[in-house]
Amino acid sequence: MSELPLSSATYDVDDPYAANELFQESGWTDGLPIVPPTPALVHRFLDAVGIEPAEIVGVEPVRRRRISGEKIAIAAVMAGCRPEYMRVVVALFRAVCAPEFGLHGCSASTGGSAPFAVVNGPVRREIGMNATHNALANGSRANASIGRTLRLLIINVLGGAPGRLDRSTLGHPGKFTFCVAEDEEDSPWPPLATDRGVPAGASAVTVLAAEPPHQVMNEWTRDPREILDTYAAAIRANMLTYSIWAGNYAVVIAKQQRDVIAAAGWGKRQIREYVFDAARVRRSDWRSVGKGAIAARRDEDKVYTALRSPDDLLIVAAGGPAGGFGAVVPPWYGAKSLAVTRTI
Amino acid sequence: MRVLDPRLEAEGQDMTMAPPLETLEGATLGLLDNAKIGTARFYDHVESILRSRYGVREFIRRRKPDSSRPAPAETLGELSAADALVSAVGD
Repeated sequence: MSELPLSSATYDVDDPYAANELFQESGWTDGLPIVPPTPALVHRFLDAVGIEPAEIVGVEPVRRRRISGEKIAIAAVMAGCRPEYMRVVVALFRAVCAPEFGLHGCSASTGGSAPFAVVNGPVRREIGMNATHNALANGSRANASIGRTLRLLIINVLGGAPGRLDRSTLGHPGKFTFCVAEDEEDSPWPPLATDRGVPAGASAVTVLAAEPPHQVMNEWTRDPREILDTYAAAIRANMLTYSIWAGNYAVVIAKQQRDVIAAAGWGKRQIREYVFDAARVRRSDWRSVGKGAIAARRDEDKVYTALRSPDDLLIVAAGGPAGGFGAVVPPWYGAKSLAVTRTI
Repeated sequence: MRVLDPRLEAEGQDMTMAPPLETLEGATLGLLDNAKIGTARFYDHVESILRSRYGVREFIRRRKPDSSRPAPAETLGELSAADALVSAVGD
């Protein structure tokens, strides 16, 4: 085990219960209990990914905060990760530090987004990630603790505690953790990472600053257009009731609907193009949702698309085998934050 | 047992407020607009008060391209000609 020195301040406590009490009282958690980050555990987590304590893993571009391997490992231990999750955690943190992700803005905004992480490749099975039943919620320690690690880092190394840097008006439950694996083995389409340029067989994580998932249901048709009309309607509702600006939307499509869409011979290109055409609103539509005051400020005949181009749509295959369900995961604020993919 | 502090220590010097101007009479003020929807109108009002009640002579007004990212160096360079700067945060 590496014996390179750690630089964090230390505290002596009686036992794990007292450690948790210290972290809770100090505001260093999300409110859920933590695993105490001891020096031995932090060394073990760093060794698992071959990173030295002082190595800078990422720099938050706005406030130029330089985040070391040591702080990442501390957060991963606290969140309940196992050491082998560290390579996903590190890739995820590097992804959110990309300038186009806009980590500062989406962490601070009153809009209250959460990073939505999608993991692809062999690492999913190696660390036991869940991509099927209850895919967007509890079901796997790896999904839960990897997503939670990012939240603890935002709180502790970026200062993103609620009411401090985090000015979210409401936030949403995904701010505790929001991490899913894709069901590649049971999908008719190439994985998301492949769409985004990652070589086949490699593991990768894609992250989007996202609002909460909106579940949709349509199990009464064999026509892929009708299924996608349901998704487009949810996207249009989001454009009118939340934010009209175009950006990366994710759609999570569960197996039953995937099978129907694939049986009609539709691949991801057709899905993206159909949603691009269908998910658009007219500025005057704002009047139908109580936003007449803002509608009149510009040309009310102007048409807004949800996506800047069909490629803005992130298609994720995940969910349990039964039920005609899917979800729309909207962007925080148009293209102010863009999805980022990093190889693991 | 011994546990590690999860927080990141601040790097570099702490920032402090610049000393206030002796008077606003005849001063040049920078107004940095954070690019939110109501900021320009708000600053119109601030500017008229500062001109009429406090005798501010000149304003340098610049708008950030994006409310979620820092002002570009070029914008800060232009604002540095001011005696003092107002940076409004919020909608």
